Amino acid sequence: MSSSTHHITSDKILLAVAGSLFLLTLLTAGVHFLELPQPWSIIAAMTIAVMKGSLVAMFFMGLYWDKRFNSMLLIASLAFFGLLVGYSLLDTLFRRIVIPGF
Amino acid sequence: MANHSTATSHADFVQHHFVDAEQQFDSAKMGMWIFLVTEILFFGGLFATYTVFRVMHPDLFAEASKELDVLWGTVNTLVLIGSSLTVAMAIKSAQLNQTRNVAINLCITIVLAFIFLMIKYFNWMHHFSLGIYPGTAYSFTGIDNPHASIFFSLYYLMTGLHGIHVIVGIGIMTWLLVKTLKGEFNSEYYTPLEIGGLYWHLVDIIWIFLYPLFYLIH
Amino acid sequence: METAEKTSNLKKIQVQRYKPEEDPKDHYLNAMKGIWSWLTTLDHKRIGVLYLCSITFFFFVGGLMALMIRTELWTPTATFIQAHTYNELFTLHGSIMIFLFLVPSVPAALGNFILPVQLGAKDVAFPRLNLLSYYLYITGAAIVICAILSGGVDTGWTFYTPYSIQTSTAVTIMTFGVFVIGFSSILTGVNFITTIHKMRAPGMTWGKISLFSWSLYATSIMQILATPVLAITLALVAMERIMGVGIFDPSLGGDPVLYQHMFWFYSHPAVYIMIVPGFGVVSEVITTFSKKHIFGYWAIALSSLSIAFISFLVWGHHMFVSGQSAMASMVFSFLTFMVGIPTGIKMFNWAATLYKGSIKLESPLLYIFGFFFLFLVGGITGIVLSTVALDVHLHDTYYVVAHFHFVMVGGMVMAFLAGLHYWWPKITGKMYNEKLARFTCGLIFIGFNVTFLPQFVMGAQGMPRRYFNYIEQFQPFHQVSTVGAYMLGLGFFIVFVYLVKSIFTGEKAPANPWGSRGLEFQVPSPVPAHNFEHIPVIVHGPYDYHKPMDEFQLGIAGSGNGHGNTVDATLKTNGKEIKAE
Repeated sequence: MSSSTHHITSDKILLAVAGSLFLLTLLTAGVHFLELPQPWSIIAAMTIAVMKGSLVAMFFMGLYWDKRFNSMLLIASLAFFGLLVGYSLLDTLFRRIVIPGF
Repeated sequence: MANHSTATSHADFVQHHFVDAEQQFDSAKMGMWIFLVTEILFFGGLFATYTVFRVMHPDLFAEASKELDVLWGTVNTLVLIGSSLTVAMAIKSAQLNQTRNVAINLCITIVLAFIFLMIKYFNWMHHFSLGIYPGTAYSFTGIDNPHASIFFSLYYLMTGLHGIHVIVGIGIMTWLLVKTLKGEFNSEYYTPLEIGGLYWHLVDIIWIFLYPLFYLIH
Repeated sequence: METAEKTSNLKKIQVQRYKPEEDPKDHYLNAMKGIWSWLTTLDHKRIGVLYLCSITFFFFVGGLMALMIRTELWTPTATFIQAHTYNELFTLHGSIMIFLFLVPSVPAALGNFILPVQLGAKDVAFPRLNLLSYYLYITGAAIVICAILSGGVDTGWTFYTPYSIQTSTAVTIMTFGVFVIGFSSILTGVNFITTIHKMRAPGMTWGKISLFSWSLYATSIMQILATPVLAITLALVAMERIMGVGIFDPSLGGDPVLYQHMFWFYSHPAVYIMIVPGFGVVSEVITTFSKKHIFGYWAIALSSLSIAFISFLVWGHHMFVSGQSAMASMVFSFLTFMVGIPTGIKMFNWAATLYKGSIKLESPLLYIFGFFFLFLVGGITGIVLSTVALDVHLHDTYYVVAHFHFVMVGGMVMAFLAGLHYWWPKITGKMYNEKLARFTCGLIFIGFNVTFLPQFVMGAQGMPRRYFNYIEQFQPFHQVSTVGAYMLGLGFFIVFVYLVKSIFTGEKAPANPWGSRGLEFQVPSPVPAHNFEHIPVIVHGPYDYHKPMDEFQLGIAGSGNGHGNTVDATLKTNGKEIKAE
């Protein structure tokens, strides 16, 4: 029946993932205090955030064991978000500054 | 394709338009993931706005970020991660028919969520006392930049929208707790727990990105 | 036989033909009685009908506003309305027509009704969510009416900042109403995608689902990705009005062009959300009325998906003169040329389907012919507008107004009317007056051209849009356009009258009045409460007109309608009954 086909995540994995998330959080706070120059600071922070988010998505939300389509949904949403940001920046970054200091 | 289960009649929880429990469970999960896609785009509009303004005013953002307390931001992050863990534990317990553990885990989740909200509330109150309000009510003089209120407006908008989602999440968890105590979930049927959990994990993921973007700018 | 069964793990099921009953006594309309059963229904067909009634009401409200606008424009100066009221009229005409009529029209009204039946399902995946979608629509509509009653809105349906931040009209209420309607749209999208993935009947592979289903799939993808961004953008406008957060208003340090980026991120895909379901209807009607397999099934199916994707890449063509960077303008212009290609592919494929088909010139097909011509003009003028050099002159003129009315009314409304006539027998069990339908189709076609063709000319000559007054040289164009508008309004009104009349006095419709191979025509008219009294089995695609009709009416023998009737299927082999495990 249905229950036997559903993946049951073991305590070990759940605790290991939670532990990694804790460590990554402390790491990102620590890196902040290193005061790296931009753009390295934001790159480091975002890389760690992406790693944390991926751990939650893959293991807490179960995408690792789930149907591929659900993972594709997540990736598609991020791709379209990227479009929104990318295109807006394509405009704002390349504008001619008509009124200086605005 | 769904096989029509022929030997047994439908269990109580299988709705009439579904052929069997598996189809119902898979559909519920897929539907929830699609809804999460919409949530990501919903917050995404705010993240896009944030990105545009940060690119336009990088120094302002760095300076204004100093007004936010990294310690409490970090604590809040750990609190939410903990609550994600307990939600995942609750689902695992349901899959193993451990009703008592499901209830305990849901309780801890709700408590952690309240702690998160409380810390947020005190953070906000502290900022209000300094005159840091959103929009035109902003009266803080500690940052020498005419656009300073933009950072804080975004801060209030994004953490505020996130907070609303946490409150809704508490409501969902409470409702799930009530159903658990009534004995409605077991290894055969725990779909609402599964999809409630997915919602909660997304709320956690959004905070995982809010935290560095507001608290850890250098 | 028994030995073979013991050694193989293939299960044999008995499949039989289920001929649809003519003139059924029980169907979805009389399955439950009373207003309460309608207001609390979980039946996708009833929800579709509820939507149909609501969008029809708002169509006429929006249409009335259009007539008032066109009447006012009869003379170059004030005719019978003041300037401020005029601004509110065109804002509300646009908002109501787009959010309360066009976006829900084919998906929510026709799609809700037809999609599950075409897929061989008993309902959508989430019937309660479906009802919630409807109530969110009604709530949003009520909020919009509140906005109208508390002074209206005068920003244009686009709510551009900073004016929308500064105006004292009811923008906050209006944006809240649109916000709520947006969630109705989102939940419909969630429901449709899940239904198409998970609820198809046995044998219905992706290559056998109808092109209408494909179009609803593409539409739903756009709905779930784009609508949330509109929701947050409008919420930000409201926050800026209430708290002065300074995101879009330059006087508060904001960027008004950022508003346009975020608004059009939704609103460009929105125009495809509005038209792509219409494309689905076109595919259905053309194949049925030429009794031919669609030319290029996968080309049309995949072109719907490519439109869904490319539509997100082109929004800046609404912003060529907004002050966005030249770099962005060039990229958007190029990609907009690209988005015309999948649509062009569809047009050629439809024409090729008609070629050498056995054409029956009945009213649904006549509406589709109207669609063909009008959408072609609309689409090509869209390509004109996506050329940056031309758009600089044509932006915010009547050329743009004519373009989008050609695609939205000439395209979408014609396709909607085609679908409504095509599926009317399934929805009501009645046939409408065919002669009147043909006449009115012609009246609408002519009225539409008289209204909007002059607008291309005056737009190119410089007549700006949303202007209450104009210079003398444009008066003849405006007057012709106004006459056309009344013809068009009359045409729509006549359609309403004869369709409603048919419910009471129309001829009873057969199960399959058009000889279609579609699954929805293999069940009685009106559709039974549970769609099918058996589990349908699909062996052919919906356009296989060369196959005999009874091969489209197969179902698992002894299967029930999902409500505990004959759940156990029994196998009969050599006259002996064997129970399946």
